[in-house]
Amino acid sequence: MRSWDWAVLALSLAGIVAYGLYKGRGSDTTEKYLLAGKTMPWYAMALSIMATQASAITFISTTGQAYVDGMRFVQFYFGLPVAMVILSATAVPIFHRAKVYTAYEYLEKRFDAKTRALVSLIFLIQRGLGVGVALSAPAIVLTVILGVPSSVTTVIMGTLVIVYTVMGGIKAVTWTDVQQMAIIFMGMIAALITAVALLPANVTLGDAVTLAGAAGKLNAVTFNFDWNDRYNLWSGLFGGAFLALAYFGTDQSQVQRYLTGKSITHSRLSLLFTAAVKVPMQFLILFTGAMVFVFYIYQRPPLLFNHVELERVAAAAPAALGDIEARYSAAFDARRAAASRMIGARHAGDAARAETAAAEYRTAQRALDAARAEGAALAGATGGKDFNDTNHIFLTFVTRYMPAGLVGLVFAAIFAAAMSTASAEINSLATVSVIDLYRRHISPNATDRHYLWASRVFTGVWGLYAMWFAGYGASLGSLIEAVNMVGSLFYGGMLGVFVLAFFFPRVGGTAAFCGVLAGEAAIFYAHLATKISFLWYNVLGCAVVIAVALALSAVRPRAEERQPQ
Amino acid sequence: MNEGPPFLGTWPRVYAAVIVWLALLIALFTLFTRAYNR
Repeated sequence: MRSWDWAVLALSLAGIVAYGLYKGRGSDTTEKYLLAGKTMPWYAMALSIMATQASAITFISTTGQAYVDGMRFVQFYFGLPVAMVILSATAVPIFHRAKVYTAYEYLEKRFDAKTRALVSLIFLIQRGLGVGVALSAPAIVLTVILGVPSSVTTVIMGTLVIVYTVMGGIKAVTWTDVQQMAIIFMGMIAALITAVALLPANVTLGDAVTLAGAAGKLNAVTFNFDWNDRYNLWSGLFGGAFLALAYFGTDQSQVQRYLTGKSITHSRLSLLFTAAVKVPMQFLILFTGAMVFVFYIYQRPPLLFNHVELERVAAAAPAALGDIEARYSAAFDARRAAASRMIGARHAGDAARAETAAAEYRTAQRALDAARAEGAALAGATGGKDFNDTNHIFLTFVTRYMPAGLVGLVFAAIFAAAMSTASAEINSLATVSVIDLYRRHISPNATDRHYLWASRVFTGVWGLYAMWFAGYGASLGSLIEAVNMVGSLFYGGMLGVFVLAFFFPRVGGTAAFCGVLAGEAAIFYAHLATKISFLWYNVLGCAVVIAVALALSAVRPRAEERQPQ
Repeated sequence: MNEGPPFLGTWPRVYAAVIVWLALLIALFTLFTRAYNR
């Protein structure tokens, strides 16, 4: 990073905090602090929803994923618009009319206190693990790229988030999310334009698309069904819809975004705008990754994008690495030459010659992939753990090839993505802690001012916890992946109980409570004893919750349970 | 509280428009894949 980049990064971060403090003024009641006094317009909520979902690691790894695996990851989002329509028609009006601070508060109105407490605790465990990852995962990557200790980036991001989230509550969180999404969009567009602009003069955008496609990187839609395959049309539409229903309909970090809406219409529009924009946005991010792949056809990429690991392997196994590097270089030269012949034939309109060159290009690509896989295996063998450098691909491109100033903008986008996710999660964790536990079970009759200050204190405590967990997680490496997986273990049960609440008025609290426990047991069994992709856990857990609750209701119909509201 | 949407008249029509938009995107992405991915 050059001085211009540091200046852009520092100005962006200072601007985010200042804007958050400015927009968060006047949050002097619990309702204003936690629900923005229900004054937020649809576009602010929509951008906040998208910013909360787009964590820094998503931003970094999605582009790298296109480089390695192609664009098929976009299918993961196909179920999202379906879920948004269902939530707009069901959850939004129900939550608004119930006048609740949290989704779990509604569960007591509909079922009973123990069901509310159970689901609140599940949320606190799940999101409590996730909030540390939101800060630590990008910190680990930034450490390698910038050469700055991860503790420094974690403390910078964490402190800034705590300052504006504690002071301004959800208004500050939402409006900074708007600003952060703008920075993320600008950073991504700048990266795409740079990748295309740095291609050789004789390679047009059409040529670049042809080269990416010939290497299998433009596989945006795949129809093959496989239970163990995460990304195909069917898992995206059905598994993705259930995951999105659970995430946007039961996770307080998202529900709280649209509970701040000034009306049901504004809350619905925020979800439907997200539904319309999210899929094309992910396509654009993945397309940027595909263009970075094409850029590296003409510019030799490193064998391993994590340069710290590459240097370690060079010291540990120089002969083996040298052999792999030689084959990698030969494959790169062959691929570049074949690509040039392919483009030349395309421009000349010689289809037969283009097809021959494409076959040579694909052969060279396979040799290149094989050498890279050998390099990764060597890094894994010498390092004693699995090696994966997908998260380093995009940032290596950014730091080495983007012009001064734009590098700072992309890093500002990464910081913004991390901070927007962390701030929303801290804010929602504090809300559930205060509303569902503290006010409900510990101090039920205090003044509004008391709960306002309790909310500020819990926000600060969760923020400090996130920083501590991030520092701890940074030293554990692959645990990050495991923690991400833990999050997906709980959504099925949470979704199931809300489906019961909305659509099965005869089911009572005890049946719902037992259903959640059974659903979670089924998900943990599937995770430990089968190879089913995690996208299907939500479908499975939700189905088991409903089946068990209905069975219990049939055996022991609700008597003293409350009537649905 | 039962406000209509600012466009298309009713909420079911807005929901249908979102689903049609999704179907259009999937169709375009499928054409894109078939045209370029080998």
